[in-house]
Amino acid sequence: MTTIQQINHLSWRAGFGFHPSAWEKVQSRSLEDAVKYLFRGQKNTVTLLTNQTSTRQSAIHDSSEEDQNEARMLEKQSVMQQNAQWIARMADPSEDTFLERMTLFWHGHFACRITLGDLATAQLNTFRQHALGNFKDLVLAVAKDVAMIRYLNNQQNKKRSPNENFARELMELFTIGRENYSEQDIKEAARAFTGWSSNLEGKFVFRPYEHDYGSKTFMGKKGDFDGGDIIDIILAREETALFLVTKIYRYFVNETIDEMMVKTLAKQFYQSNYNIAQLMRTIFESDWFYAPKNIGTKIKSPVELIAGVMRTLEVEFSSPFPLIRIQKTLGQTLFDPPNVAGWKGGNAWIDNATLMIRLNLANGFIALSEKRNTKQEDQETQELMDEAQASKIARLGNVKLNFQPLLQTLENQDKDTIFETLSHFLLQPQLRWNKKTLSHTFQIPVMKTISRP
Amino acid sequence: MKRRNFLKNTALASTAWYIPNFLQNFALQQLHASRSGKILVVIQLSGGNDGLNTVVPYRNDLYYQNRPTLGIPANEVLKASDDLGFHPALAPFHSLYEEGYVSVFNSVGYPNPDRSHFRAMDIWQTASKSDEYLSTGWLGRYLDNQCKGCDSPHAALEMDESLSLALKGEQYSGFAINNMQQLQKTTQNVFHKHLGAQTASHETEQVAYLYKTMIETQQSADYLYEQSKVHNSKTTYPNSDFGKDLKQVAELITADTDTRIYYISTGGFDTHAMQKNTQQRLLKQYAEGIQAFVSDLKQHQLFNEVLILTFSEFGRRVKQNASGGTDHGTANNVFLINGNLKKAGFHNAAPNLKDLDNGDLKYEIDFRSVYATLLEDWLGSHSNSILNGKFKKVIL
Repeated sequence: MTTIQQINHLSWRAGFGFHPSAWEKVQSRSLEDAVKYLFRGQKNTVTLLTNQTSTRQSAIHDSSEEDQNEARMLEKQSVMQQNAQWIARMADPSEDTFLERMTLFWHGHFACRITLGDLATAQLNTFRQHALGNFKDLVLAVAKDVAMIRYLNNQQNKKRSPNENFARELMELFTIGRENYSEQDIKEAARAFTGWSSNLEGKFVFRPYEHDYGSKTFMGKKGDFDGGDIIDIILAREETALFLVTKIYRYFVNETIDEMMVKTLAKQFYQSNYNIAQLMRTIFESDWFYAPKNIGTKIKSPVELIAGVMRTLEVEFSSPFPLIRIQKTLGQTLFDPPNVAGWKGGNAWIDNATLMIRLNLANGFIALSEKRNTKQEDQETQELMDEAQASKIARLGNVKLNFQPLLQTLENQDKDTIFETLSHFLLQPQLRWNKKTLSHTFQIPVMKTISRP
Repeated sequence: MKRRNFLKNTALASTAWYIPNFLQNFALQQLHASRSGKILVVIQLSGGNDGLNTVVPYRNDLYYQNRPTLGIPANEVLKASDDLGFHPALAPFHSLYEEGYVSVFNSVGYPNPDRSHFRAMDIWQTASKSDEYLSTGWLGRYLDNQCKGCDSPHAALEMDESLSLALKGEQYSGFAINNMQQLQKTTQNVFHKHLGAQTASHETEQVAYLYKTMIETQQSADYLYEQSKVHNSKTTYPNSDFGKDLKQVAELITADTDTRIYYISTGGFDTHAMQKNTQQRLLKQYAEGIQAFVSDLKQHQLFNEVLILTFSEFGRRVKQNASGGTDHGTANNVFLINGNLKKAGFHNAAPNLKDLDNGDLKYEIDFRSVYATLLEDWLGSHSNSILNGKFKKVIL
């Protein structure tokens, strides 16, 4: 395993691959420096996002149904904008890519469907702020996150009629995992979170008259607990560290877990009082992270794949619509997970239909951008497109992409190395191909083209 | 290098625009045997449909006591028996019931029910026990069992962009398809065909899986696309994804496609708050869709060949909550629809609202009994190995 292969592996697990122009630079970088580079943003405070497109605040008091519908539609568009901007940040090499990657992980972990623009921004900021901080702070912030409160019905969780939805998912999906609590624990936890609500403006509020101040018995402890106490009790159990580390290992290292490794990491994580940055650094600094069995074994999630292709080809969309469409067809739309458990991941990303779209993803981006170019300058290409395709493409707005950085990495390459270079840059596993049959299949003089200035 | 040259001279880009049409219909027909045997259509109501407001115990005071505002008034219920009737939005479904095409099983569930969507859906789709985690689905294992030596990846079709666990087996899995034409076009890339033709060495499990899926997809896409063009249904379906899916399935069935199982899911049933209007809209869509589908099948004398199973991952709590909704519950009703049922109507009594488990219904019929019946008496397979146990069959 060469250093550059290891760094490439790291760049895909902790980010979204390399921009072609960085490829040259990292050739001489040490693995140690590459890891250090990831954590460079730790010194600074996290930049919080603002939302310019959400107009809900001003529409809250509009009474007519028409105005309300209009406001709802605008909010939907605002969420789409958030979505597109986020993917653009993931693809942008000048952003803190590791922060974006961690935020994406938490977005999947704390799965939450959001249809209001300002709430989407607020939740992203919650994740960004705590992405590499302390897990306990993160859980508490999520429990007070308005989008989450509404998604898991804590808005309806009141003393006289508790709603268990949030309490159940808090334990089952967010912290300790199944088999570590009873149905009675869920009922008691739900009582502790009664009154954790939100107001019309979309801010967290605690409503004392809806809160159950009575004594609760939770996980063998007795007291007049509120939500914060419940989180403390759950995190005081080592099973919580194990649950979370298992999930992180599956996401960042390998779907098949190494139990010894995960147990050791969980112990350290627990002892560090749930320090997320320290956990991630330990993983990326470990030799086993770069073991061959952990390289090229993770199937990228649709969003990872899209962001990676966009980064490689410098893809820019004039409208969020095609981006949302691609996410939907591939099975992962940001802010719209399939259910409370989030996206399943792994082989589940792949079925016959999604695989075909993945294989044609770069083609699709190119085809969209070609539409713009072919208008006047290239009669030949235009003839190759049928009318239906052309009109479909027209609806999707403008797409720009830049081939030059990628082509530059192929400068002075000859027939025997060009596919190998490309495949090393773009892929971790060995591609199934054979030089002889490949050129035979295409019958194209690749070399002549490449060597021509 | 000029960008234009790079694009023109690599198959990578040009195939996105140029789609060759060299495969003839008749040649494909020879590759695929036509369907033989019965067809199963599974309809999954995702989110947990409120069964008590679907099949309403309209003479039961406990029902109205537990649901002071959500309960459906007896005079609005579409009466089906002395004590049970359907939600008013189910009128077209009620007609099918009266014609003897519908079997209703009440209180279907399993021991130690799970109230999480994710887990409960997995239990229903994998046919596992409540405390058992399986990575294959009951229909996937049917494919493994039935299809040894058969390499048709579209023996089971899911009308969706992705494949449910229910259709994933060890060796064989179902085929997910949302748009026939799109899929057919995208499989025409010569570069991908070339990759698929190469042999492999030292590949990880994931990479091998990707190649296998690609090759199978190439084979099935052409066939299904041709099949989808054979018949154009003239029946009116609800204008929704659910309606479109049903129409597509009807068209494939009437074209004699060699697919035995179709899987459709439709969501939105997780009605924790303001349930009334949501469920009304969803049940109406369901009933109208089924009515159109049955009428299509009847026109082609295929209603006896097709069995429709409808289920949801759980029912909802007997007592309504303070948000005008209902929380996650347990046992629920299951429907079977077919033109030639031995025993139509209600198979068991209405749910017992007196004897509850923590405010939820106790199950009476194990859902795997329904599966066992379908596997053996409809699909002609064996149920013991697929369901990991023996379950008493119901009457089909």
